[in-house]
Amino acid sequence: MSGRRTWAVTRRQFTVMRRSLPKWFDMTMWPLLDVVLWGALGAYIASSGAGDRAGVPYLLAGIILFHVLFQTHVAVATGFMEETWTSNLLNVMATPVREAEYAIGLAIYGLAKLAMGMLTVVVAAWVVYRFDTASIGWTLLPICLILMLCGWALSQVSIGLMLRFGPSAEILTYGLIFVTLAVSGVFNPVEALPGLLQPLGRVLPTTHAFAALRAVQDGGPTPWRELVIGLVGAVVVAVLSMVYVVRMLRLFRARGFVTRFS
Amino acid sequence: MGDVLTARGLRKRFKQVTAVDGVDVHVADGERVGLLGANGAGKTTTLLMLLGAITPDEGSVVIAGHRLPRERSEAMEHVGFAAGYLPMPDRLRVREALRFYAGLYGLERRTADDAIQTSLERFRIGHLAEQPCEQLSSGQRTLVGLVKALLHRPALLVLDEPTASLDPDVALRVRVGLEETCEEEGTALLVTSHNMVEVERLCERVVFMARGRVVADDTPSAVAAKYGHATLEGVFLELAETGGEEREP
Repeated sequence: MSGRRTWAVTRRQFTVMRRSLPKWFDMTMWPLLDVVLWGALGAYIASSGAGDRAGVPYLLAGIILFHVLFQTHVAVATGFMEETWTSNLLNVMATPVREAEYAIGLAIYGLAKLAMGMLTVVVAAWVVYRFDTASIGWTLLPICLILMLCGWALSQVSIGLMLRFGPSAEILTYGLIFVTLAVSGVFNPVEALPGLLQPLGRVLPTTHAFAALRAVQDGGPTPWRELVIGLVGAVVVAVLSMVYVVRMLRLFRARGFVTRFS
Repeated sequence: MGDVLTARGLRKRFKQVTAVDGVDVHVADGERVGLLGANGAGKTTTLLMLLGAITPDEGSVVIAGHRLPRERSEAMEHVGFAAGYLPMPDRLRVREALRFYAGLYGLERRTADDAIQTSLERFRIGHLAEQPCEQLSSGQRTLVGLVKALLHRPALLVLDEPTASLDPDVALRVRVGLEETCEEEGTALLVTSHNMVEVERLCERVVFMARGRVVADDTPSAVAAKYGHATLEGVFLELAETGGEEREP
């Protein structure tokens, strides 16, 4: 492993980010719009007397933590896409950089981008709705860890799909994250999903992270069961996603798919 | 003099098509070799297997004593690669892009900056250092690609169509820059090109491919003589027409 090669990958992403309007949009406008949209919805439902749990804090906490998943996933997946958009994949493959060094370089960049995106949502939630994210307490940390692992796993699946199916699979990057949003019970218990989707929702570690969040917000005891299931599940999907992307890379090399990107 | 590159029995099939069929390629230290053939002859597939970007179905590749794919990273430390058809990454200035690649080659910042400056000057493009990559012309892009490939002083330079679609003056600058580099630093060269005149001037040996096989491997003049032509241009046209099959008497 070479720290210099890993840092080269990270630094390149930061240099591109400084000049990329869409990346700033991902880190600022999306989070801001989400906070305003879901906060307004929560405020409206709360004012109509639909129940205690449907207030602003409930929806805001959901959307803030969804952004942990979103930012991790999008930072890493679009970081890889920088190579495909600029037909640079072959240039990178013809250097000594190892797959693990490249992945760690992207992950470091993803963490930094996550921090910036989270700062936007947390500050926006405080400024616009006086919602203090820290009020969730220490449970926030394991929940964030679960969501970061799942975001990383989703990004690996996106990259694997691009390696397998070519540039046309890029569209799935945003598709995958919104499918996860829909079936993970970000704002609602999994029982509120259509019956056919409930089994899928239950097996996702993200569902358990959001269930733990709601349990904490309801003032209950620490939801150990949800946290442990979520964490174990997140580790499992992260490992599976890495196995998947390694297999896709092997297939990519075996079938000569690099020519699709050059 | 040892071989910096040895590839034996390379074979690659894509579905029903055999793109490369039992190819042997070797390049000695400091040797300049042209890999030639018509479109579809299997040159690029061969190059991509030598770079580890495509896994051969059969055969072996050893670069500077490192066997692919297990020691790909170590092998690539000794290889510089550039292709005329590959752009440099967008949203980076030339110096930033070159620093990125220098980092991937494991160079420290000061060594990288010195190497970038030296290589830019060798190809007389120092004025492009702060230019955004997306604004480079195709000729400038090729020259920057060559600078990128030479940053870490590789033992072997692999070039795929480096002068395709270049103006004659830029093509000349590429050739002169390559000759200087190879002579001064003892860099070996493996280059594909459709410009036979350029190959005759630059390369000491040529490997002709047709239908995925090596059909000739010798000095340019010996290959031309073998096929009864005065230049490689005639050999190229004949092989493009016949695919390397013996002509009817």
